[in-house]
Amino acid sequence: MTAALLALADSRLPAGGHTHSGGVEQAIVAGLVHDPRSLEVFLRRRLVTSGAVAAGAAAAAAREGGGAPADRRAGWARIDAETDARTPSPALRRASRQQGRGLVRVGRRAWPAAVWDDLPDRPHHPLALGVAAVAAGLGPDDAARAAAYLAVTGPATAAQRLLAMDPITVATVTARLGDEVDRVAAATSTTSTGISSRTPPGTSPGTSTGVSTGTTDGDGRDPDWLPADTDPLLDLLAEVHADRGDRYFAS
Amino acid sequence: MRTLVEVVARPGPGGRTVLPVVRASGQLAVRRTGPTTVHLVATAFGPLGGDDAEVRLVVEAGARLIVRTVAAAVVLPARGESPPSLQRIRAEVAGVLDVRPEPTVVTAGAHHRAVLHAQLTEDAELTATEQVQLGRSGEQPGRWTGTTRIERAGVPLLHTTVGLGPGAAAWLPPVAPQAYASTVHLGSTAGRATGDDAVRLPLDRGWVATAWGERLTPTLARLALLGQPAPVEEALS
Repeated sequence: MTAALLALADSRLPAGGHTHSGGVEQAIVAGLVHDPRSLEVFLRRRLVTSGAVAAGAAAAAAREGGGAPADRRAGWARIDAETDARTPSPALRRASRQQGRGLVRVGRRAWPAAVWDDLPDRPHHPLALGVAAVAAGLGPDDAARAAAYLAVTGPATAAQRLLAMDPITVATVTARLGDEVDRVAAATSTTSTGISSRTPPGTSPGTSTGVSTGTTDGDGRDPDWLPADTDPLLDLLAEVHADRGDRYFAS
Repeated sequence: MRTLVEVVARPGPGGRTVLPVVRASGQLAVRRTGPTTVHLVATAFGPLGGDDAEVRLVVEAGARLIVRTVAAAVVLPARGESPPSLQRIRAEVAGVLDVRPEPTVVTAGAHHRAVLHAQLTEDAELTATEQVQLGRSGEQPGRWTGTTRIERAGVPLLHTTVGLGPGAAAWLPPVAPQAYASTVHLGSTAGRATGDDAVRLPLDRGWVATAWGERLTPTLARLALLGQPAPVEEALS
């Protein structure tokens, strides 16, 4: 734990996160969030799906930071593509890239480092978070922790504003999710090393009778795969929200 | 028990498709039921907790393959502490592949993990549909975890894991659906669309549509409203 991690996860960091509600604005309209209990359920749901994806991508991005510039450029481009594949909702892609750009803007000034130049244009937010962690001298675990934490605190703050909730109550809800935030962040350090390093098969179908068997863990998932947990409900809320003309938050 | 199915589709004379490899071992048999169609036939009850089935499909450029099953798969728990049952479909597609198994019903106490990993070449086409019902009629829901990963020319286009059932990630009341259906299509474009408990999202030259609810039949009806590519492209941003 260093002060840099606290700064990275601080809602006062002017990275533009305050203009996004993480789906909570539409969840309130849909009647899914209306009190502290339903807010906690929503935050938990978001944490273990998009929060886990963000934590996995941020940690992977931070791991790539130690490589040669060409390697980390390629690695970060791959992580950006992997994040795209895990974010099929156009509204959520936009929100992620807007926040990624906002974080790069402040991160470049706050933690000047050569690594910023190796990021793709308009990176996904978790990727920018991982690179910010590298620039600030933090490790992959820190990047994952910040990503998981922000997946909860952004929407919690938005709900507080939209529902005029008692700030102490919302802080309590957020604090109660602390163990789950740690668990989600810790899972990213044990499950994946980043991107599959195996030679991509599929370039010559039919040359053999089989498909690359690869390897899978007991869950049938490739251990090289980053977390991909998704909640179709959040996709739907994001897309319905994007069509509204009377919204307070960008997402 | 381990089950392995392998099918290879190859272009034959006159634009037809030949299937030089059609074999299965374990709890599934495979039958050629049409010029480009195979049906998977369960030869035992199950899957049971701990069962592991892998279906390997290769569709070469210029070939077409349609994969169906003859009946719903009813996933049952093993005795005692039941481990998950696992079904992986690994597909290498340079031609056209259409996979639509009958529904998977996950009974109380069972946990089924389904993985679809499709690797497409630049011009390949894919349509894959998943239909899930948690619990038989009047029964407590089982648990289902489905991962879909689709790559085209090595680029990941879609990678999602959906967990349903007690203890699963996206299964917290009040939105805890017992029925789920999803279709992913690569090969033609459709814009985003929203419906009641249903959403269609655009992919690069493709789309993925998902619907959920309490019972599978109305869920499939709502999916079908979104499942057809729109005649006019919506703006994708």
